[in-house]
Amino acid sequence: MSQLRAAGGGVFSGYDLDTRFYDEMFEPRGNPRAASRRLHAALAELVPEDLVKLQDGVYRHFLHEGITFTVLDADKATEQIIPIDCVPRVLTAAEWDHLERGLKQRLAALNLFLKDVYHEGRCLRDRIVPIDLVLGCPQYRMEMRGLKVPHDVYVAVCGTDVVRTHDGFAVLEDNLRVPSGVSYMLACRSAIKEAFPRLYRANRVREVSDYAELLYATLASLRPSQDTPNVAILTPGMHNAAYYEHAFLAGEMGIDLVEGQDLLLRDSGLYTRTTSGLRRVDVLYRRIDDDFLDPVHFRSDSVLGAAGLFHAYRAGNVVVANAPGTGVADDKSLYAYVPEIIRYFLGEEPILANIETHLCREPSSLAYTLEHLEELVVKEVGGAGGYGMLVGPHASADERARYAERLRADPANFIAQPVLDLSRAPCFIDGAIEPRHVDLRPFVLQGRDEQHVVPGGLCRVALRRGSLVVNSSQGGGCKDLWIVED
Amino acid sequence: MLARLAAEFYWLGRHAERIEHTARLLRFQLNRLPDRPVDELTLGWQAVYRILGQPSVSSNLDGDDAETVVIPDAYTLAGKLVEERANPDSLLSCWEHARENGQRVRAELPLPVWTCLNQGYLWIRDSDFTTAWTRGPSALVGEAVDRLHLLAGVVEAVMPRDEAWRFLELGRFIERLQHQAELLAGWVEFNREEAGASALSWADLLRVCSAYEVYCRRHSTNIERQQALGLLTQDPEVPRSLRFAAQRIARLLAGIDPVGARYPMAAPHRMALRLAASIEVEPTGLSGEAGEFFRSVAQDGRVLHDLTMAAYVTHTFPQELAT
Repeated sequence: MSQLRAAGGGVFSGYDLDTRFYDEMFEPRGNPRAASRRLHAALAELVPEDLVKLQDGVYRHFLHEGITFTVLDADKATEQIIPIDCVPRVLTAAEWDHLERGLKQRLAALNLFLKDVYHEGRCLRDRIVPIDLVLGCPQYRMEMRGLKVPHDVYVAVCGTDVVRTHDGFAVLEDNLRVPSGVSYMLACRSAIKEAFPRLYRANRVREVSDYAELLYATLASLRPSQDTPNVAILTPGMHNAAYYEHAFLAGEMGIDLVEGQDLLLRDSGLYTRTTSGLRRVDVLYRRIDDDFLDPVHFRSDSVLGAAGLFHAYRAGNVVVANAPGTGVADDKSLYAYVPEIIRYFLGEEPILANIETHLCREPSSLAYTLEHLEELVVKEVGGAGGYGMLVGPHASADERARYAERLRADPANFIAQPVLDLSRAPCFIDGAIEPRHVDLRPFVLQGRDEQHVVPGGLCRVALRRGSLVVNSSQGGGCKDLWIVED
Repeated sequence: MLARLAAEFYWLGRHAERIEHTARLLRFQLNRLPDRPVDELTLGWQAVYRILGQPSVSSNLDGDDAETVVIPDAYTLAGKLVEERANPDSLLSCWEHARENGQRVRAELPLPVWTCLNQGYLWIRDSDFTTAWTRGPSALVGEAVDRLHLLAGVVEAVMPRDEAWRFLELGRFIERLQHQAELLAGWVEFNREEAGASALSWADLLRVCSAYEVYCRRHSTNIERQQALGLLTQDPEVPRSLRFAAQRIARLLAGIDPVGARYPMAAPHRMALRLAASIEVEPTGLSGEAGEFFRSVAQDGRVLHDLTMAAYVTHTFPQELAT
């Protein structure tokens, strides 16, 4: 490991460059990268008090507008302001264009995969993906077998987690069920634009503000008939962790934010209860998990969904986005097969790499994982939010021993990956700028005929020094991402 | 609009109005702390609690050392109405409820309205009540009123006059009608029970209702029971008069009613018109039965609430799929 100081002095005077990690702002010798020069120069002129004011302004912006997420503890739900760092991360247009192509390719292949596994099952017969891995996945919905999904769009909204190492960009996971975070991307942008108006303009940053318009167009394009559709968002309610986002998107798109109690089935159609009668719903952007969508077809104890919703869907009278059963394609075990899926369905080489993944369901991988537990990150295949995983190098011997027992008891429930050298970006921490590990979740939209990726994403930051966990529920924050012209 | 959202807007209006009503009464009582005799303050607390429908209070002001506990006692009594989470009608609880209503309709609520509501909630949630009591007893409740006026102003300035706005305003004015009727009934009845005492003066009643100045301009600085009650009941230009509230309710319900002002009117609309007419013709103040009349208006307000909910929120649709 070699450590250098970043150029610039001032608020950068304590910025240690650790060459093990790709630095988003600085070249290995400490000079700012070309795309970040303007930002670096502007920040270097500031004194810490200026940054404190900026950070405080951004924080107040979030506080007053109630831009929050909810953390669920055992006995209560706590509403928290999502921590936001005021130093943007910068990518060049060329880097972004590469990412965009890779993300579109990936989603196209995954939609074809989903259609296949719920219809002909060619890729299973051809042993591209093990049949038991698909059919045994809890997210595989038998109810979707043979069902014609409008325009074959199973996943209309996808949030793909991307990381960067010295080897370039790689996909960490695909979120194909109810990906969240896009509202924080937009809120971050709005706050940062306010904080750095001149700098923002000078950098000619690509805009993300038309996301809601594109999302509406995407959802509307999936409508069952040619009439102007009534699109609604289905939320579990205000105590859900992502409720702010549901309300934000509904407000931006000018559509109803409905709860299960607002919906009812009539003549195989789905309707909302209004003050003056019933109003038909054509497209439902659901933000609740499959299990809770419909107590008649899925979990009978669900009070979040609407009885008969799936019946209306099956009758073709309402489109549900994302379709039920998409979770089979974002299972962490399935992830390892995505490059093969791309080759099989598109006949192309994957543009974005995967992370090396060991499926513990395979005896040799299990043995390797157990042997190298202190070097690996082990995750539950159905886990999310950074919960239930083991970061080998940070765990105690006792924790590793306990985790190994769980692994042996149910190996198919786990995958292992090497600890990633996640790239780092400058963050304003305690009065100075310091590097922190970051990842990125861009959002891909798949409509009837078109794909869109807004040039930006939720850039998550592990705010604790040395931490690799970027989840907001575990001490992570977010920052704006600027795509600047080369 | 979605029936559930209509109810949330309606309750947002009710909760905001409830906060203002409680804060006005508290401000009246807290402003009297520095110079009123102990027995008047005791009477004042009893009246405030009774008018707000709170359980009767036991005060420390009856003993020999009443003068020494008058201020701490006042802060305890005020605290129950301001910061006590266990009291669903305290300012803090109501603000929390209002914010929850706002959160549930956030997709439909203009951002400046939401921000104003949220900032108000954060202000009261983070208030240091102990310090607030020592710095100036009525400043805190005064600020609560100011913040609600700001909210009302933002609503007025930015909300489109659509169904959401109508339900919000309807909630406000039904709450106001009920509270004002209870306030007038309580004041009348309390003065009758405490005949001879000057604790609850008619001037104070006018001040609580922000109608003292207008009364003086219309009549004189010599405040008469009959004229004060007349102003607060029948004057169509005084925002806290019963007639003002009833007329607003009728207009709002005409806008919500799917058939507008034509026959057959929806039940709450019909009831609101009848109520407005009865307030207009009632020779309040002249009659010794004014308290009874005010109680009946408050009861009508409750009926109006039930009819509104039944007509627009909890109505059922035949042939629903059983869950």
